Amino acid sequence: MTTYSKEIINDLVNGTLPWPQTRRIMSAYKDDDRFFKYLAVLQDRVAWAEAVLLPVGDRLFICDSAEGRITRCECGYSFGDYRKNWKLKAAINVRDTEESLREIYPNSDIPDSQWMEIREFFCPECAHLHEVEAAAPGYPIVHDFEPDLEGFYRDWLGKPLKDQS
Amino acid sequence: MLDKTANPLQRRLLESERLMEETGCYDGITELRLRGQDPLKFETLHTKLRAYCVSAREMARRISASPGVREVGEMVVAIYTPEGDAIALSNGIMVHVHTMSRFIKWMIRNGYEQNPCIRDGDIFANNDAFIGTVQVPDVMDVVPIFHEGTLVGWAGAVCHELEAGGITPGGDVCLAQERFTEGLFVCAEKIGENDEIRRDYVIRCERNLRMPIYWVLDEKAKVAACIDMRENVKQLIEEIGLEYWQRLSKEFIEEGRRAQLARTRQLTVPGIYRGHTFYGHVTEGKPGFQPLADPNWLYNIPIEMEITSEGKIRLDFDGTQPWGYHSMNCTPAGMDGGMFVTLTQHMNFEGLVNDGAWLATEINIPHGTWTNPDNEMAATATSWALLLPAYGVFQRLLSRGFIARGFVEEAFVGQVNSPMIEMGGTSQYGTGFGMAHFECAAAGSGALAIKDGLDTAYVGWNPESDMGNIEIWEQNMPMVYIGRSIVPNSGGAGKYRGGCAFISTWLINKTDHLRLVTSEHSSRVFDNGGLCGGYPAPTCEKHHAVRNSDIHERAERREPLAHTPGTDPLVSDFERIYKGEQVWEEGPYITRPHKAGDIFSHAYNGGGGFGDVLERDPIKTAWDVENGFLTREAAEKVFGIILKEDAEGYPQADIDATVARRAEIRRERMRKAIPVSEWMVREQLRVKASDFAPEVAKMYRSAMKLSPRFSKDFREFWGLASDFTIAGEN
Repeated sequence: MTTYSKEIINDLVNGTLPWPQTRRIMSAYKDDDRFFKYLAVLQDRVAWAEAVLLPVGDRLFICDSAEGRITRCECGYSFGDYRKNWKLKAAINVRDTEESLREIYPNSDIPDSQWMEIREFFCPECAHLHEVEAAAPGYPIVHDFEPDLEGFYRDWLGKPLKDQS
Repeated sequence: MLDKTANPLQRRLLESERLMEETGCYDGITELRLRGQDPLKFETLHTKLRAYCVSAREMARRISASPGVREVGEMVVAIYTPEGDAIALSNGIMVHVHTMSRFIKWMIRNGYEQNPCIRDGDIFANNDAFIGTVQVPDVMDVVPIFHEGTLVGWAGAVCHELEAGGITPGGDVCLAQERFTEGLFVCAEKIGENDEIRRDYVIRCERNLRMPIYWVLDEKAKVAACIDMRENVKQLIEEIGLEYWQRLSKEFIEEGRRAQLARTRQLTVPGIYRGHTFYGHVTEGKPGFQPLADPNWLYNIPIEMEITSEGKIRLDFDGTQPWGYHSMNCTPAGMDGGMFVTLTQHMNFEGLVNDGAWLATEINIPHGTWTNPDNEMAATATSWALLLPAYGVFQRLLSRGFIARGFVEEAFVGQVNSPMIEMGGTSQYGTGFGMAHFECAAAGSGALAIKDGLDTAYVGWNPESDMGNIEIWEQNMPMVYIGRSIVPNSGGAGKYRGGCAFISTWLINKTDHLRLVTSEHSSRVFDNGGLCGGYPAPTCEKHHAVRNSDIHERAERREPLAHTPGTDPLVSDFERIYKGEQVWEEGPYITRPHKAGDIFSHAYNGGGGFGDVLERDPIKTAWDVENGFLTREAAEKVFGIILKEDAEGYPQADIDATVARRAEIRRERMRKAIPVSEWMVREQLRVKASDFAPEVAKMYRSAMKLSPRFSKDFREFWGLASDFTIAGEN
């Protein structure tokens, strides 16, 4: 079975693994023990002790906490119950003017702000930009991902999560 | 009326489908017996079949006269079961492996075994998307494979033709508003017998196409590839025996199905994934567009993907827009093809690649939408305009699963539209001509979760992306290149930026009549997205041309020339440098003919970005600026990276200044941002008042009319009454 050290997974996740090595990993059979090594790498990154259960973004995780399972920014900020859309507890900046769109697109054709706006979803604590939506005005905010967390741990990983009820 | 029930092949197809339904396994293959008996032989035989396909395609490319096939490889071949399921395929435009499967099944279901009969040496062709392809220029040929009188399979090949004989030259005919203007249709026809293409079919092609040499020689190339594969398969059956082949080919597909389910369970996480994209089609008042197609359109494409606990992928397009009198509609075959080509790129990089992967998926394409028109008169010539953005969303949804599972090296922000330019009129040789320029097969890709996207090296429909050599294109059109350059800042911004696109600038040469038409570029909205904080890539919306330019006079005087429109969005370098009539055109470029001395530029799209821009590596950014992928202005304003110059004048990252600037940007973010709850209260008022541009309001009304779920979700999100509608009439 293919397997890699935690250090290699760490470098891969951080984008610092040299390309020839990365390329070999991409071409090889996948390592079945990746997930828990990945979680260990991410756990080392965060300042809190509660277990990271599932990454749902680049610096966004579902983890255990005293208030139950929550979506959490890497800085520790809680976006609340992981089953709810974390974006509803984020800070938002909407680019819906030519001037504000030009800040991101200085040289190119830009959207007509009557047809499309750019929505930036930040962590209210550390100002990390977690997600960008390009949507028509009035379009509901999308709930990107609703994982079947319990099913995943129970049926796919064979390690059921502890019941929180 | 034909007695279809008496058709043995049709019975075999129905039986195969019944067995799949009853057992959940392809053709009722509940046990991979041959694989179990001798796994090495099993794998070796599949590798052989794949080698037959790859070798046949390479041989055919050398027969073709079309630079689309010869240069950029717009071709794919595959081997099928008698019922039309793909067993093995080549590289190339893999989207058509499954569309060809639909074509074969369509012939079987429609009694072709009785009339026009399916005999050894027959050649069948099709480019009707409602039978099984994506668009008119995708012409497919299949030949049956017989062993001692028994039909034992099919060999098939598809080429994208550079000229299809539509109302405008080329094949992606954006002006088509119904199928009757899309070009020459070949509707599941027998075009040859005894391994020879019929003369009357060739004459039909010669008299209905602007540039028949491409289509006709491609037919010969495809038939040669099919015969090559057929003879190899027959030889193989001689070696392994008919009974073994019949079981083996079915086991290959069942293994492909199982492998896809296993791969999904290995690489992703079960659950519901959602995303969306948009497409703006601005044609109001353009020459040639008839009243039905005249209004501008805004398309929303929401996609929900479910990964079940079994590992099945279900894609749902509920909530998208109706089909329309434009050329961007897609058929179920095209939608299946999009799913197939995406899966082959992102999940089936090991093991057997065949129709088994497709069997491990489900797709909901609501009747009456652009994904599944309830009118077979609908035009599909530029299906890709909506298909590529849609499957770019699919790639982002899959990628979120890869990131959740830890396989960050497979996460990919997705494909983009790569606008097509097509032309016709009088060639540089003084003859009539027509051609699609296929350098579009080399857009910028979306970023990965661990690195920047590929620059000018990816399109979704053909992973073997290639822009082709300038010299070859120049042989085929009355234009010469005066520039082919990277477009700075054309990749979406992010920790990892999207791949950059390129722009070509041509001087029209040795002709007094050149019609130029472009398609598949979204106007007024971005048709791609970023991921995890990355921004969408800018979408090319406008074209710039100079009529009656003074380029020859400037060249005579040895004065500098502009080789691109430059990076000023308001005043181009063409306007600064060249005298002449300056043309800016939004949306599809369709105007009066050009002539020698005119200048025209056409840009392709870059891919979306990944991650927060403030985490981008300053050193990599300095390299990007030095090499023209980013401008210094963007490095500072978008990424917060301050550059200084080293001793030799090259850009160098100023780390301390960058840290300070980024801290300032974070403070600015917090000053400008408001809680989402606050924003929603304000936006709700706008929604209640239906305070939208007419095209946006029309989009909402159409989506709500077609989709009870979209209506419910929309009303619930904004806290509206259950009978709320957007004001106005469609």
